Amino acid sequence: MTASHFGILLVLMATAIEGIAQVCLKKAAMVASGKGIWRVAGFACFGLETAIYTWSLRYLPVSMAFPLGSLSFVAVTLLSQCLLKERVTRMRWAGVVLILLGASLVAGRA
Amino acid sequence: MPPRSQASRKVFFGLAFAIVLDTFLQLLWKSAVADIPSQPTLWQTLQSMARQPLFLLVGLLMAGQACNWVVVLDHTDLSYAHAITSLSYVSVAALSVLLLGESLTVPQDLGIALILLGVWFVGKSDHQGEPSAREAA
Repeated sequence: MTASHFGILLVLMATAIEGIAQVCLKKAAMVASGKGIWRVAGFACFGLETAIYTWSLRYLPVSMAFPLGSLSFVAVTLLSQCLLKERVTRMRWAGVVLILLGASLVAGRA
Repeated sequence: MPPRSQASRKVFFGLAFAIVLDTFLQLLWKSAVADIPSQPTLWQTLQSMARQPLFLLVGLLMAGQACNWVVVLDHTDLSYAHAITSLSYVSVAALSVLLLGESLTVPQDLGIALILLGVWFVGKSDHQGEPSAREAA
């Protein structure tokens, strides 16, 4: 595995962990009891994501890491739909896809 | 113009605050990460982060952002709120032009237009207004 491949793997891991962190925080807002556990889990995931993403920037140029990181918009929407049973309409999906494309273009030269 | 209901106002201002914090976080993080040695282990990365004062500021901003985000999520859908925060890509680009004198390329201009269009789509989609009240019911 080359350094670039390792960096891409790290960014994808960070993206997935961010999705899980966001779901944990939303769970904390939804449940009547046990909010603290969900929040701690969410913030712990954010801490791990921060470390892994920072680590990835030493293996990948920012111009590649930033666009890959914008996949978090898809990950969060997908996890919200699957795990939180949020109603994600076609219009919202269309918006998320446009945001993903736009963020990739904007961040591509970061 | 901010929305009228209290829950909608909390979401509106919460998202605006999240975008402002995220903008400064991205700019600071980019500066801070430059001092980490090339191709380190995860442990070396963590050690460098602990020694770099900018990361402390990044940590403080993150803590503020986390508190704000918890309030936002208490009042609206995660998939809605998270997508709206993509506006920070636009604000970072705008600040880079205004403060740092950078110029934007045509693909970046197109990207900003796509993000704004995407956020408009997300904003127009149905979303949960006040989940706490609904949960209680």
